[in-house]
Amino acid sequence: MRELLRRFILDAAAVGKPPEGFDDDTSFLDSGLLDSTGIMELVGHLEDQFGVEVEDQELVPENLDSINRLCAYLGRKGVAEA
Amino acid sequence: MAKLSRDVLHVDPRAEADRISAFIREQVTRNYHRKGVVVGMSGGLDSAVVACLCVRALGPEAVLGLILPERESNPVSERFAWAQIEKLGIAGERIDLTPILEVLGTYREKDEVISRLCPSFDPARDTTKVKLPGDLLNRDSFNVFSLVVTKPDGAVSTHRLRASDFQALEAAQNMKTRSRMMQLYHRAEKMHRVVAGTTNRTELDEGFFVKYGDGGVDMEPLAHLYKTQVFQLGRHIGVTEEILNRMPSPDTWSGQVGDEEFYYRLPIETLDILLYAWNNGVPDEDVGAALGLSLEQIRRAYRDIDSKKRSTWHLRCVPPSILA
Repeated sequence: MRELLRRFILDAAAVGKPPEGFDDDTSFLDSGLLDSTGIMELVGHLEDQFGVEVEDQELVPENLDSINRLCAYLGRKGVAEA
Repeated sequence: MAKLSRDVLHVDPRAEADRISAFIREQVTRNYHRKGVVVGMSGGLDSAVVACLCVRALGPEAVLGLILPERESNPVSERFAWAQIEKLGIAGERIDLTPILEVLGTYREKDEVISRLCPSFDPARDTTKVKLPGDLLNRDSFNVFSLVVTKPDGAVSTHRLRASDFQALEAAQNMKTRSRMMQLYHRAEKMHRVVAGTTNRTELDEGFFVKYGDGGVDMEPLAHLYKTQVFQLGRHIGVTEEILNRMPSPDTWSGQVGDEEFYYRLPIETLDILLYAWNNGVPDEDVGAALGLSLEQIRRAYRDIDSKKRSTWHLRCVPPSILA
């Protein structure tokens, strides 16, 4: 799951190159890695790839704003980290 | 640097009107060597102000106001635009863009996306709009657009947009603005005139205009003024009361949506001061004191401004090329 997310963020959704020192705690918002289209792509990817339904009230940085937060969020939604 | 205050964007409207009028005169007569201007009159504040300034600069006989509605335009917009044209004593012309947009497939493409998201959507009766989440200052959130469908009985359904759906809607909607640009240039070339733009600094900074749409013009007389400054100018130079009192709106969706709900996520008075502070490096503590905002609220607003500036950089540039 972690590697799939990392690859999606960096290959498909990111705007430009990842910031220097990018790691699983890097904030997508603060680093500017994802713009609004990237976030919408990410949400679609979570629903398609991992079969979860992302509720409107779950669209918050606490759930979606780094690789680690995404993994934790998906864990809470019942997706096991392989 | 002096402390920031809410008055920082106060302009001397008479001096500003003189300055912009001189700019317009210089551009039209000495730079472009043309005989006048064409202004797309939307029924909103910016185009009304530009028309007033062009009349001041060149005289009413040198200004043509084009009204370019389509079937999803608010009918009030056209009424307000005609009233402004009559007040200024300039020539006006109306071209209904609906047949052109039908041929281009604008409505079909848009309705297909909406029908997929909302199977009960009836294009003949329902109204639609897109919006961003509100409450930017008080909670961390993402710029995820939603589609809002309103039934004739007032029933509302909201549908979060995926990136591909948003892009399809945006591409279809932007054909409206680009069709307007085509009409403006047709009249301008035919009459040996200049197309006057109406984009203000707030729109320019936030990327709230369409490339080769309302951004496709020969000069931008308002690009140095934030929206609240354009409003001050409008009060001074003869914009009609009904336009001055109107909520700013893109007027490209059948449902009524203001600029704040559609894109800015902040009241324009607050956004303009934040943009000014951002552009001029005003310390956050001073911004907070002037606007009554916490540092956390300022951080949220700046993050949004930064994100919009970065994602719309290409709107403000000449297309990149190898040519130095």
